[in-house]
Amino acid sequence: MSVRETVELDLDRIDRLIEEEEGKLEPKHRASIGYKETAKRSVAGGVASSWQDSPPHAIYIDRGEGSRIWDIDGNEYLDFHLGYGAMVVGHAHPKIVQALERQARRGTHFAQPTKDLDAVGESLVDRFGLPLWRFCNSGTEATLEAARLMRATAGRDMLLKIEGTYHGHHDSLMFSVIPDPELIGPREHPVTLPQAPGIPQAFADLVRVVPFNDLVEVERALGELEGRLAGMIVEPAMMNCGVIMPDPGYLQGLKDLLHRHGALLAFDEVKTGATIAYGGAVEAFGVTPDIVCLAKAIGGGLPCGAIGATEELFRPVVEGEYDMAGTFNGNPMTMAASRAALTEVLTRDAYDHLNEIHRTLAEGCGAAIDKYRLPAYVKGLGAKGSVIYSATPVREYRDSVGIDERITYLAWLFQQNRGVFKSPWSKQETWTTSVQHSLEDARRYVENFEEFAAAIAE
Amino acid sequence: MDRGHVEIDPARVGALIAEQGATLAEKLPRSIGFAKRASQSLAGGVACSWHSLDPHTIYGSRGEGSRLWDLDGNEYVDLHCGYGVMVVGHAHTKVSEAVRERVGLGTHFAMPVEDTVVVAELLAGRFGLPLWRFKNSGSEATMDACRILRAATGRDLIVKVEGSYHGSSDGLAFSYWVDVEEAGSRERPIAVHNTAGVPEVYGRALRIVPFNDLPAVERVLADEGDRVAGMILEPILMNVGVILPEEGYLAGLRDLLHRHGAFLAFDEVKTGVTIASGGATEWSGVTPDLVALAKAVGGGLPIGAIGGTEEVMRVVADGTMEQEGTFNGNPLSMAAARVVLSEILVPEVYERFGALEPVLAGGIRESIDRRGLPAQVVSVACRGSVHFRADPVRNFRDHAAHDDRLAHLAWLYQLNGGVWMPAGDPWTFSVAHSEDELRRAVGNFEAFAEAVTT
Repeated sequence: MSVRETVELDLDRIDRLIEEEEGKLEPKHRASIGYKETAKRSVAGGVASSWQDSPPHAIYIDRGEGSRIWDIDGNEYLDFHLGYGAMVVGHAHPKIVQALERQARRGTHFAQPTKDLDAVGESLVDRFGLPLWRFCNSGTEATLEAARLMRATAGRDMLLKIEGTYHGHHDSLMFSVIPDPELIGPREHPVTLPQAPGIPQAFADLVRVVPFNDLVEVERALGELEGRLAGMIVEPAMMNCGVIMPDPGYLQGLKDLLHRHGALLAFDEVKTGATIAYGGAVEAFGVTPDIVCLAKAIGGGLPCGAIGATEELFRPVVEGEYDMAGTFNGNPMTMAASRAALTEVLTRDAYDHLNEIHRTLAEGCGAAIDKYRLPAYVKGLGAKGSVIYSATPVREYRDSVGIDERITYLAWLFQQNRGVFKSPWSKQETWTTSVQHSLEDARRYVENFEEFAAAIAE
Repeated sequence: MDRGHVEIDPARVGALIAEQGATLAEKLPRSIGFAKRASQSLAGGVACSWHSLDPHTIYGSRGEGSRLWDLDGNEYVDLHCGYGVMVVGHAHTKVSEAVRERVGLGTHFAMPVEDTVVVAELLAGRFGLPLWRFKNSGSEATMDACRILRAATGRDLIVKVEGSYHGSSDGLAFSYWVDVEEAGSRERPIAVHNTAGVPEVYGRALRIVPFNDLPAVERVLADEGDRVAGMILEPILMNVGVILPEEGYLAGLRDLLHRHGAFLAFDEVKTGVTIASGGATEWSGVTPDLVALAKAVGGGLPIGAIGGTEEVMRVVADGTMEQEGTFNGNPLSMAAARVVLSEILVPEVYERFGALEPVLAGGIRESIDRRGLPAQVVSVACRGSVHFRADPVRNFRDHAAHDDRLAHLAWLYQLNGGVWMPAGDPWTFSVAHSEDELRRAVGNFEAFAEAVTT
C-alpha cells in the first residue's frame, strides 16, 4: 500500500453520529427490544449464543430468502452477515430446500453412515487436496479434534496458536482470542490468556501464543519448546481481526519449520473454507497443511463440521486405535445439505460470481476511502472481506489494537439503518456474500458506505 | 443370588458368532462393497468411529416410523434409534412438515429466532430449570456445563463418575471406559484418559468416583471441597448398559455438593425427554443445578442444550462467561425441537412407554430365567439393556466384568432376526413401535438364549 495522506477522524463527531444513528434504529426494533424481555425469562440473556446479542440490542430474525432477511419487526435487510459467514449459498436456496425436504421424509438421523457421505467426502478431497475426512457438528468440534489429533500423532502436549485468532469454544484453544492489550505481555513472549472464566490455568500452560505473519517468532518458540510441540493451528488468512492476509511465503515457511521440528500444521478453515475460493485457503495460497478444519459454509446452513488430514495422520483412526466419534457426526440432514451445497451450488463458477461481487465492494469502498482520505483500506477474497480502519497495514493482532471500536460500530449502525445487515462486532468480523447476492446488492452496500465515509470525514 | 445359572461354553459361543457373522455377511453385499468406496475419502469409511461395526459396517438408506432400511434393502425394526435420538420415530410427518416449512424460510442466521424461546420455555417446564442455552451436540453441552460450573464457582476440580460418558471434549474424555487393571482401586479410581491426544493435565482437573457411592464423593469433598466446582454424571448410567441410581443417591449428591459450595450437573443427553417428559430429573425427583441435553430433543437434527438455575446461569446471562457458537440455536434444529417437544413427545407417549416396557424388558427377563442365563435386564421406560453377568450391576466395574462375547452374539442374533440394535449401548424404542415389533426382539433373544444354553 502506498503512503497516502489521510484525515484524522474526529471521535467526538463519531460519538455524536453514533447517538444519532442509535436514535434512528431504536424505533425500528420495538418488537425485538420487547421480545428480549420474554426471551430472557427462559433463555440466559435472551439469546442462544452470547454473540447473538450485540450492541445496541439483540435483533430477532423471522426469515430469509436469497440475499435478504427480515426481522420480527418486519424490517427487510440485505444480509452481509450471513450467519457469521455460513450462508454462502444464500438463504433458502432451492437446491438446499429440495435436498432437506427429501431427506426429512427419508429419516433425519440414524447414527449409521449413509450414501451422501462419499459425495461430500470426495468433494472435500477435490477441493482441499487432503485424502481423508471425518465429520462433526461445528467448527468448535473440528478444531477440538485437530488439536487432539496433533497431540496424539506427535505424542506431545504443547500447541502453538496465533494471537488474536478464534478456534472455537473448547478448552484447548480458547486462549488469546481477543486478548486485553493491557495483559498481553511482550510481543516475543505473549501471555496465553484464557478468553473466558472457567478454563483452568493448567490448560493455558499447554498453549504458546505467537504473532501472525512472523516466522522468526515461530522459530523462537520451536527452539524454546524443542521436542515438546505437537503442532500449530492457524487461520491461514486471519478473519477474526477483519481480514489479514498471510505474507507471501509465510504459510509454506510455517509448514517447513514445523515439520523440521517434528510438529504438525493445521489450518482452521472454518471461515475461509469454501468461501474465499473453491478450495479455500489451500487453493488460494497454494499450501496444503497436515490437517484442515471446516465448518460454517460447507453445511449449507445446517450445523456441520469436518476435519481432513493426511493418510498418515488418520491411520490410527482408520485402524480403530483412536476414536473420533459423536452421535450426530455425519447426520443425514447435514450430509444432504452439504452434498447439495458442495456439488450443486458452490461450484467453480460460483466463485467467479463471488469474486465479481468482491470487486464491486472492494473498488466501491476503496474509492470512497480515497475520496474522503479515510485512514482505512479494504481486504478480502471471494465471499469474505472487510474494511480495516487503519492508515497502515494490519499484519497481526497487535496492529489492530489501536482501531477504535466506535468507528466500526458506527459503520454497522449506518448500514443497519440503511437496510444492510452487517455482522455485528464489526472490528473483528468480516462481510460475507452469497451466490444469491447480486452486483446491485453490492452497490447498495457501497452507497451506504460512501454516505458513512462522507459523514465521518466532514 | 443363585438362580441356578447354566455354564456357558465359550467354544460354542465362538462357533455361533462365526455362524451368525457369516449369515449376516450374505445379506450385506452392497454395504460391504460401499465401505471400500467410502474408505477412499472417509477415514475408515465412516463419519464417526462408532459407525464401524464388527464384522461389517452397515450403511443406512432410509427410515420410516419404527423401521429402517439399509443399503442392501434389508428391513429392520429399529431399536437403535440412532443412539437413542429417534424417540419420535423416523420421518415423523410432523418433523418433516416442520423442516419443510423452516427450510423455505432460511435455516441459519446466527441471530435469535422465536422458536429458540419457545423451545427453552418447553424445556424449562419439563426440567424445572428456568434458564437455557443451546449447542449442537451433547459433547458441546457437557463441555459448556463444566465451564459454567468452573466459572460460577471460580474453582477448577470436577467430580466425574467412572463409566459415565460425557462426549468427546478434552476435559471429560477420561474414565468412561477403563481397563480396570490401570484404573486404581474400585473405591478410589484414578482418571484414565480414553483417547490419545488428551494431555494428562486435563485428567488432573478431575476426581473420579464410582457410581452409587456417596462415601466416595464425601471423601473427595472432605479432602479438597474448597477446590471442587461441581460434579457431572449421567443420573442413570447408559454408557455401560443401563445402571440405575440407588435410592437416595442423587439427592445425597446434591446435598453433599451444596454443603461444600459446589454444584450438581446431570448429563441427560441420553435420559432427557426419553425416559420421562422431564427425563431423569422428573424420574428421580432430584432437580440438579445444571442439565445437559442433546439427542432426542432435536428430532434427528444436531442439537444440544444446557439448562440451569438462575444462580448458576448468572455468569452466562450477565456476560461474565461468554457462551457461544455460530450454529447455537440454529432455526432448523429449533423448529424440529419445537414440534418434538410440543406435539410429539406429549404426556401420553410416556404412559405408552411405561406400558410397553414390560413387553420388551419383561419378555427378555423371562427368557433369561427360563434358560438360566447368567444375565440381568435393566430398563427404564423406552431404554434398557442386558448385562451378561449373574450378579446385580451397581457401577462400571460390575458391568466391565460382564461377558462381552455373549453380548456380541446376542446382538448378531438381533440383526439376523431383523432387529437393528446398538452394539453394546442400550436399546431405545420410539412412539412408532408396536407391541409385536418388541416381541420380535424378545423372540430373537429367546433364539439366542436357546442356542447358547443347549
